[in-house]
Amino acid sequence: MAKFNWLRINAWCGRGSVLAAVLLLGVVASRPAGALPLFARQTGAACAACHTFYPELTHFGRMFKLNGYQLDNGRDIEMITDEGKSVLGLPAVPNLALFIMADYVSFKKAVPDSQTPGANSLRDNIDFPYQVSLLYGGKIAPHFGAFAQVTYSNGADTFNIDNTDFRFANTIVLPNKQPLVYGVSINNNPSVEDPYNTTPAFGFPYLPPATFIPSLAAPIVEAGQAYEAAGPIAYILWNEQLYLAAGFYREARTGSSSPGNPLTGNFGPIDSTTGAVLAGNNAYWRLSYEYDIDRYALMVGTYGLKFKLYPGNGLPLSGATDNYTDVAEDFQFQFIGEHNTATLKGTYVKENQSLNASSAPSVGAASPHDWLSYATVDLTYWWERRLGFDVGFVNIHGSTDPVLYPSAPTQCIAGSGGTCGANLGTPGVGGVYNVGVTNSANSNPTTDAAIGEISYAPWLNVKFTLQYTHYTKFNGATTNYDGNHRNASDNDTTFLYLWYAM
Amino acid sequence: MNTKQLILATLATAAISLMSASAAVAQDASAAPAPIPAADAAWAEKKVVTTCQWCHGAQGHSISPIYPALAGQKAWYVIEQLQAFRARTRADPWARGIMWGMAAQLTDAQIAALADYFSKQTPFYSTLAPAFDVPKTAEIQEGKSIYNDGVAATGVPPCSACHQAAAEGSDQFPRLAGQHASYLTKQLIALHNGTREQIVMNGIAAPLTVPQMEAVSVYLESLH
Repeated sequence: MAKFNWLRINAWCGRGSVLAAVLLLGVVASRPAGALPLFARQTGAACAACHTFYPELTHFGRMFKLNGYQLDNGRDIEMITDEGKSVLGLPAVPNLALFIMADYVSFKKAVPDSQTPGANSLRDNIDFPYQVSLLYGGKIAPHFGAFAQVTYSNGADTFNIDNTDFRFANTIVLPNKQPLVYGVSINNNPSVEDPYNTTPAFGFPYLPPATFIPSLAAPIVEAGQAYEAAGPIAYILWNEQLYLAAGFYREARTGSSSPGNPLTGNFGPIDSTTGAVLAGNNAYWRLSYEYDIDRYALMVGTYGLKFKLYPGNGLPLSGATDNYTDVAEDFQFQFIGEHNTATLKGTYVKENQSLNASSAPSVGAASPHDWLSYATVDLTYWWERRLGFDVGFVNIHGSTDPVLYPSAPTQCIAGSGGTCGANLGTPGVGGVYNVGVTNSANSNPTTDAAIGEISYAPWLNVKFTLQYTHYTKFNGATTNYDGNHRNASDNDTTFLYLWYAM
Repeated sequence: MNTKQLILATLATAAISLMSASAAVAQDASAAPAPIPAADAAWAEKKVVTTCQWCHGAQGHSISPIYPALAGQKAWYVIEQLQAFRARTRADPWARGIMWGMAAQLTDAQIAALADYFSKQTPFYSTLAPAFDVPKTAEIQEGKSIYNDGVAATGVPPCSACHQAAAEGSDQFPRLAGQHASYLTKQLIALHNGTREQIVMNGIAAPLTVPQMEAVSVYLESLH
């Protein structure tokens, strides 16, 4: 499922691979959502057991996930040895589900036409479908469970692997009768293993508009390497309260463009033609504590990662790396009543960047040390799980860096109003793009947004949502942020979508 | 107790006795239930720790009042309810939403083991009321009156006639003392409007008003 995507157009993009950024944008922007009728089929429990409303998990949902999606109340196909040892416990009915979403998106002010100076693109668009996801998961075998999602997105017009989590989990009953769950999740997106809705993979804002204008930067933990990394995350959960997870991620792409590696003529191994490649093993960790009383569940936690990336994109995958250290604190305060649910949650990420590779003069001379912070807080209320309201804020702040956040586009067309210099009229690979809209005149990534949502769910698996995003700052400024007379609020976005889960 | 209440209470007791008797005949159950095999008991204990307690709390002492505490509940009653969930004959909202699934594949032996486990835990007494609710002294008093004396005007018999003076339950009536008030109210509403079918309690809950249900629930929750 997709984070609202404050797409990280990072060092590698600053170096000129705008095309890659735009392509990436198309792909990443269309990540889907995932509440799962397949789990309902397996457990026999309604959505409301695991969710306040999808995708936010209840305590029951968190336990189900951390126990490896094992709870299975259907009939299994079984096989045992002569000694009575079970060798197969396969759900008789495949645990499948389908998501379909359609949407309408409208910007407050149209984006300039990408080809014709002075003209504008359409201010709104409809995606039908926006996304279609096929989901498979639940119990695969005793102690082994999965959650895997393949998503077709209209924007990219392709099927992509979405959040995917293969898990092993088991429970020890301690002498004092408390449960100790231990497990390993192999997944493709940092924080996919996490049971709370404060971490990036399943955090607020839950779903980005199909079409949106990405801000310049976000910490790397905010989906920066989503679906491009994979790794094992080991965890323990003590007494349904204390959760500790740690592991590492490695690069998991096989090549940025078909046919992949030009030498082998096949996919992989990846080389300098790919950008932003993870170097070696990259640590991820998480610690949280949940306290439940009456109808309330309070969680406080911390998580983070330390990622090293080769810039790639023409540079060999060796030598100096850009190092990112993200440390986050988060909280979630959940109330679940008979008729109402309310959740207040927030997260604050601080990222320190040591750009050992990108700061080299031969590479691009970014500042050797930059930082970013990412803060979000939101309040969700559901009445009878039928009428939902969500209001939240996202604030991204960071250091100014003219190389990472160029004030002018690196490719220009005549008459576009940008400062093109030597690039004026240069035909870029893949053509030209919206001059300025994604740039920052003052080379600063600060972006502040307020997001409001109203949802109506006539059924637990059918939802209509109207979302409005208002920007008070975008890419460093409130007014004229791009140096081309576009204001932050011009990017305000109305997003209406329909969600079917079956 | 007025005459109408007396008749209703007597009828209720008689009906329950008759049902129990016929059930006993049908199942050939003796007064002393068969002991639970050690393997089943171990299975039940693990099942509680790894699944049931997500909602019903450690040892059946539930934290959220949405879910009933099961610690100290009568074994026969837990068996009856789990069987009703499995057969989909108990159909109040959360029974449908959660328990139909949870009980779907339980065997009779597993149900018996779970019931035995919960019945042997230290009885649960809610501690939530004083911490989280405004004082409900008047409501508790009204509830106590309904519990012990019924509602003469509408012919509601005293609850204590069946559920015992301290609401500790019996071989024919479930334990209610200390249970979460909001769960009890929810069940009384389901019994009142018939989404939970129980022939005796459907009749008794029919004339109850929601404030009366809430009063008797907070009284039961306040018992220690």
